[in-house]
Amino acid sequence: MRVLTLIVDFVDRRLGVRELFDKELRGYLLPRNVNVWYTLGAVLLALFGLQILTGILLLIHYVPHADQAFASVQRITNEVPFGWLVRLLHAVGANVIVIALLLHMLSVLFMASYKGRREFTWLSGFGLFNLAMALCLTGYLLPWSQLSFWATTVATEAPGAIPVVGDLAREFLRGGATVGGQTLGRFFALHVVALPLALLGLIGLHLFCVKRRGISPPPFGSDYRSQELPAAFVHEEHRGGIPFFPNYVVKDAAVICFFLALLLGIVFFAPNLFFPPAAFEPADPFVTPPRIKPEWYFLWAYQTLKIFPSELIGLGVQGAFMTLLALLPFLDRGPERRPAKRPIFVTVFFLGLLVFVAISVWGHYS
Amino acid sequence: MDAPSNLPPSRRRTFLLILAGGLGALLAGAAGWPLLRFLAPASRGGAEQAVSVPRAAVAAGTAHFFQYRGKPAVALQLQPGEYTALSAVCTHLGCVVQWQEATGEFLCPCHGGRFSPAGAVLAGPPPRALEILPVVVDGDQLRIG
Repeated sequence: MRVLTLIVDFVDRRLGVRELFDKELRGYLLPRNVNVWYTLGAVLLALFGLQILTGILLLIHYVPHADQAFASVQRITNEVPFGWLVRLLHAVGANVIVIALLLHMLSVLFMASYKGRREFTWLSGFGLFNLAMALCLTGYLLPWSQLSFWATTVATEAPGAIPVVGDLAREFLRGGATVGGQTLGRFFALHVVALPLALLGLIGLHLFCVKRRGISPPPFGSDYRSQELPAAFVHEEHRGGIPFFPNYVVKDAAVICFFLALLLGIVFFAPNLFFPPAAFEPADPFVTPPRIKPEWYFLWAYQTLKIFPSELIGLGVQGAFMTLLALLPFLDRGPERRPAKRPIFVTVFFLGLLVFVAISVWGHYS
Repeated sequence: MDAPSNLPPSRRRTFLLILAGGLGALLAGAAGWPLLRFLAPASRGGAEQAVSVPRAAVAAGTAHFFQYRGKPAVALQLQPGEYTALSAVCTHLGCVVQWQEATGEFLCPCHGGRFSPAGAVLAGPPPRALEILPVVVDGDQLRIG
């Protein structure tokens, strides 16, 4: 303890870390009625951290070459000590991240936390969601299994429906006419360097926006009042709230532990939950396995393309939906945030959720 | 209802810190062991076994390089039927020596160390001779090690 105090004293005299700690963590107050949904940001940070750690470990043994990628992943899984654990934490962790991301986004939507001049927070969060999806898509190809190869073939086929530039866009994405070694090379570079760098930058921007504007309080309870904002910038403070450290950090830690338990539960008791049989066969460009499907979080997009008579209309509908979601804070401008006083929004919210689940299930069984 | 604890808050805090520290150490150990094993050098299964090299690969007057227990080695046929095997790792700084057919000696390309076909230092900075490996002729194979 004494050594630790001496070290902190040494750093504090040079950088004033105690003052920083008191001001930014102990003195950072959150609304008293803050709920469990507010911890999902910290959960996502922890899960992204785990992805970076396991990703670096996998890079030690993974070979990004069409002739060796599958064998290198098999070697990681079957021969490298605890390689199976590192690989499963990475692959299953990606799925748990998507679950946490969806819950985070849905809770922000339901509580209308994007309101009150929080457009940048929402947009950076929306960007993070899309980056995470891109990371999932590019990472999916890397094991170079039949599943990887054909799911990527299906996914990269979609841009081909865009008029005029469709073929060019598809070839540019793949690095050639079909998925091959050149696709693996560019997906590898995107997955390992470009997208994680962009993700880290956007996480920084997102956290800055959250901290600078101030936490949006939950729109529940008898004390809650809708606010009209002054013309100038205002930092939303929560006087008399609970300190971020230690009170809220403990809550964050508890929910992080819950998600880690979920992740480890799948890794130990249902390791193949996200791996159909085609994930265990090496990629064969001449044999398409039957009933090839994208990952569960892309099923809605996959099925939407099949519902409409032309792929172009399907793509247009997806594009329109994503654009509407991105621009929501600019369209939904009323100050009211309480769900009970926004019946139309809440109805659309639950119907939208139902349609998303229904289309995904349809996509899975079609 | 139980009587309130007489312990001062500082002692309770210390107890909780020790408890949290112990739990943290336990969890760190549980996570650290797989990490350590993952990063540990690959096991050298069968590393002590002899290596077989076809006799046909080692023609008279030529050198044949091969992997021996994870390191480069070289086999020579100095006289017809007379085989030698040496570690190909220079004893100076670990570079791999090259066979100079014209002069009949090994040259280390890094700092110009020269070795005889028997591995003895002829010139340059190497402090020791090349390690000699035992060779046994076994039919059409050379068993080294």
